[in-house]
Amino acid sequence: MTSSSAPAGAHAALPNQEPVVRMQGVTKRIGKRTIIDNLTLDVPPGEVFGFLGPNGSGKTTTIRMMVGLMKLSQGEILIRNHSISRDYEKAIRHVGAIVENPEMYKYLTGYQNLLHFARMIPGITRQRIDEVVQLVGLNARIHDKVKTYSLGMRQRLGVAQAIMHKPSLLILDEPTNGLDPAGIRELRDYLRLLAIEEGITVFVSSHLLSEMELMCDRVAIIQSGKLIDVRPMRQQQMETDLSKVFFEVDQPQTALEVLEGTGAALEGNHVVFLGNRENIAACNAQLVQAGIKVYGIRQQIKTLEDQFLEVTGGERIV
Amino acid sequence: MFDFLQLVNNENMKIYRRVRTWIMLGILLVLTLSISLLTYIYSGNISPSMWDLMQIQSVMSIMLVTVFTVVIAAETVAGEFSTGTIKLLMIRPWSRSKILLSKYVSLLLFGLFFMAVIFVWTIVTNMLFFGYDASPIMGSDMSQLTYWLLNYGAEFITMIVIVTLAFLISTVFRSGGLAIGLSLFILLGGSIVTGIIRMLDYAWVDYLLFANLSLSEYILGDASSITGKPLGFTLGVLAGYYVLFIAITWTVFNRRDIAS
Repeated sequence: MTSSSAPAGAHAALPNQEPVVRMQGVTKRIGKRTIIDNLTLDVPPGEVFGFLGPNGSGKTTTIRMMVGLMKLSQGEILIRNHSISRDYEKAIRHVGAIVENPEMYKYLTGYQNLLHFARMIPGITRQRIDEVVQLVGLNARIHDKVKTYSLGMRQRLGVAQAIMHKPSLLILDEPTNGLDPAGIRELRDYLRLLAIEEGITVFVSSHLLSEMELMCDRVAIIQSGKLIDVRPMRQQQMETDLSKVFFEVDQPQTALEVLEGTGAALEGNHVVFLGNRENIAACNAQLVQAGIKVYGIRQQIKTLEDQFLEVTGGERIV
Repeated sequence: MFDFLQLVNNENMKIYRRVRTWIMLGILLVLTLSISLLTYIYSGNISPSMWDLMQIQSVMSIMLVTVFTVVIAAETVAGEFSTGTIKLLMIRPWSRSKILLSKYVSLLLFGLFFMAVIFVWTIVTNMLFFGYDASPIMGSDMSQLTYWLLNYGAEFITMIVIVTLAFLISTVFRSGGLAIGLSLFILLGGSIVTGIIRMLDYAWVDYLLFANLSLSEYILGDASSITGKPLGFTLGVLAGYYVLFIAITWTVFNRRDIAS
């Protein structure tokens, strides 16, 4: 579909493009407990799609169902239009995944591990394995046993096995777990690169809001097995969008008088009002003209956390 | 769809790339060799035949091969669960049945390989120590070589049943320890249990797995010393258990959610 022909920037998905993953009424019951409740979700192609929820909200269970490790109690998951329950081998053919930690055979070398998984999918040449090893930067250590690897190296080996067969969907479950900040940054950049350059759709779960904000084009929020919201990230701020603006000034009281009529109020030492871009410029001009020193203007942009708190009614996510 | 042998290849790699496999083989070779060697040194003026030691060496080494194969069987499925590698193994364009089959095939190949090595090794080393002896076995015109070939064949069939049971436990309970313990209990303690139950003289005792594991008796005799039944009966019972074990293993493995 998109994997070979997609131009750079394929993440700007057209609305008529077929979703890579289609979940319809996905439900999982274990005993009497409903772990996943009627999840319906489409993942558009070429995006980094975040799957956000607190621990125990059903992220991993959903991912396990997506890759066929768990059976669905009800509903349907289609990957590139192949049902994961009825047409497993075709559906999984285009999926690369790391479910939880990238557990490899520790008594084998990194290369032998890759060879192992390469043998299970047709068309992966030794050349391709070398290419992937190069890509994840493991050349120097690939012939060492995996038990000598650091967590970051195992993570990279995990990514290598997941992208070796050029999947159109890459599923990563909590990929930043246990990585140091440099490792997280590296992974994040790499995922964006995959999505943009190779047109791979990345489905990534996390309980870390800040991570998701930096990594994803779109985020689905799940709580207690229910889908709460799907919203795009990095939305362009519109000219007319109102946001909360903080002015740091030397005489707050005077400033408040100058700005009368704009709905300005005092919050600590800051003058605060709700306005769009033009309002900010105008207010600033007014203040300066009135001889007030403006030390700083800060615009509060809603973070995912704020958005999340808004949707979930204040229940904290982490 | 594509090459199933590649899956077997993978499983073989996971068996033979581990040091412990070669330690197992080393133990077998050294143990049988030292029996021959010690006999050779301490036999004095009596010169034993190359076949004299076969009985003790074979019983011991076949027992060991069974134990080792049971260990591999216990590890092959339960080990993937305990290390978590099962998750990466299963998310490939292969049905669960075929992945399980590849494990089972590699397991039987392992048993066959060890059996064959130990068979050739024992005969060759004994021949080198004591010289070639062409006489047939006592009270029959069957050659010694034929007899031992049949003996190893019969023991291999028994081993398959035990190992399949270990494979079943490994898959169903995902516990390697339980698989090893339970199947070795059946192998080693089986005859004792059968002996006790036999005293009760119930007809169903003959259908117990324990009572039908000594196939090598049929090479020279017509009836089992335990059940008194003919070969066909014993093979039938074993086949029944075998089909049952396989059916349970595959059904459970296919249905089970993987959530480790």
